[in-house]
Amino acid sequence: MSSAVVVAGLDKNYGSVRAVRDVSFTVARGEIFALLGPNGAGKTTTLEVLEGFRTRDAGRAEVLGIDPGARATARALRERVGLVLQDIAVEPYLTVRETVARNAGYYPAPRDVDEVIALAGLAGQARQKVRVLSGGQQRRLDLALGMIGNPELLFLDEPTTGFDPSARRGAWQIVRALREAGTTIVLTTHYMDEAQALADRVAVMAGGQIVAQGTPSAIGGRDTARTRIRFALPRGSTLGDLPAAAVPGDDGLVTVQTTEPTQTLHRLTGWALGRGTVLDRLTVDRPSLEDVYLRLTGDDEPAPVLEGSTR
Amino acid sequence: MTAVTTPGRRRDLALLWHQVRYEQLSFWRNPQSAFFTFVFPVVIIVLFGALFGHGAGSSYFYGLPALQYYVPTIAAVSVLGSCYSQLAIVLALRRQNGILKRVRGTPLPAWAYFLGLLAHCVMVSVIDVALIVGVGRLYGVPLPGNWAAIAVALLLGAASFCALGVAVASLIRNAEAAPPVVQLVLFPLIFVSGTYFPIHSAMLNRIAGALPVRPFNQALLGPFAHHAGLDWKSLGVLLAWGAVGALVAIRRFRWDPRPQ
Repeated sequence: MSSAVVVAGLDKNYGSVRAVRDVSFTVARGEIFALLGPNGAGKTTTLEVLEGFRTRDAGRAEVLGIDPGARATARALRERVGLVLQDIAVEPYLTVRETVARNAGYYPAPRDVDEVIALAGLAGQARQKVRVLSGGQQRRLDLALGMIGNPELLFLDEPTTGFDPSARRGAWQIVRALREAGTTIVLTTHYMDEAQALADRVAVMAGGQIVAQGTPSAIGGRDTARTRIRFALPRGSTLGDLPAAAVPGDDGLVTVQTTEPTQTLHRLTGWALGRGTVLDRLTVDRPSLEDVYLRLTGDDEPAPVLEGSTR
Repeated sequence: MTAVTTPGRRRDLALLWHQVRYEQLSFWRNPQSAFFTFVFPVVIIVLFGALFGHGAGSSYFYGLPALQYYVPTIAAVSVLGSCYSQLAIVLALRRQNGILKRVRGTPLPAWAYFLGLLAHCVMVSVIDVALIVGVGRLYGVPLPGNWAAIAVALLLGAASFCALGVAVASLIRNAEAAPPVVQLVLFPLIFVSGTYFPIHSAMLNRIAGALPVRPFNQALLGPFAHHAGLDWKSLGVLLAWGAVGALVAIRRFRWDPRPQ
């Protein structure tokens, strides 16, 4: 089966601002794909080209095999695609159930209205007016509207911004359940943990370009990056005493980078025990998705140690 | 996968009715629109009834009893309110809130959205006009004879003022500006068109006759008060204004709160 989304060489300018430059990616059917990046990176613009809200200046875009910019096929495409936009936009005077039922009527084969309301966690609010809902509840209503048409593909633009931690987990549950049911999902987020928790594949955007893409565990060379061993230098020792090359950090810890963590750790702990001391506050880790993200998006000034950490 | 289907006409009609129903629901639930748009003209005609009562004909009102003059002009006001003012303000607000963009993201076709709004506005107007005629009856204003001419004038007026309402919504940038702009355009128009005071200046009448409100008044006054038929000249001017509105609306209407 063909890909759900194909983007190749996409350009979009606003006047002299080049909002999106040469962006290319594909999303396989049944996959959760995340566009990760800071505000203004071009995530929403990319998504809005795919949603048919914006024209593109150059490049190819295909959504479920259809050009999202083509007018003749727009209605047919929208019947198969669900959207959750960045801003909450719902009529204040209708009830939750009326709002969902109205949108259900726009689709040829919608899902069951009450089932979708329950899935969005709004069963208790079904008969309440939209304007009395909390911001988080309105956002979940938005999510319900995105899935009421039983879409093959769902676009989510920062779906959990402003959610409290438990509401976010709830939203993630919904997204995972939709994927289980076969829905392809393309989402934007600036939360690292969201990309990590949900996405099968991630593309990191910065300055209108994709700077890296891959699985959350391998992106930006995370899987091949050297392991970091960090600890407090024992009192009375200098960097030169250590059996491995280390650099000091501004948090009072020293960092050792290694491709052989088992061996290096053994040498370090052996050295410490031999001197009758300990490696205080010892941690062993690899660059987190957040480290990679900060490095890739150039947002990492206060972390000079990380700068040299990966290649 | 599903092929590109051409939805049947029955489905389109059902969709249109579905849309009208929810427009009605949103309208009546909103106390502001329900009051200012719907109740206001009824309040005015009741007030005029109390003021002028069962008066005899006077030359000031072209030989008509005052209320017989006011039933058609206030009926016109109710159409202006529910079609032009209400539509311009609601659309500007919905665009600013992102609701229009959201609608654009569903398979609901643009024609169904606008036709649904038009049908909704016509329904509100018809109920309003019926109430105004009913109040007139209480003060002895006779029922008009030529309902067909009234129906044509009402429908054409409603469609033209809806088009003008969408046009104004297309030209306004933000929702806060909508109510003042709408009123600024409408208020002087209503005054020079003889809606509240008959105008006996031939010059003023000639100017107002080329603007949209007076022709609508005239097209209603004829069949309401003089048992006349269709006022082709007034209907023609109204149609021309409707066409201008539609043209501006089609060329300038935006769904997105932010320009490209």
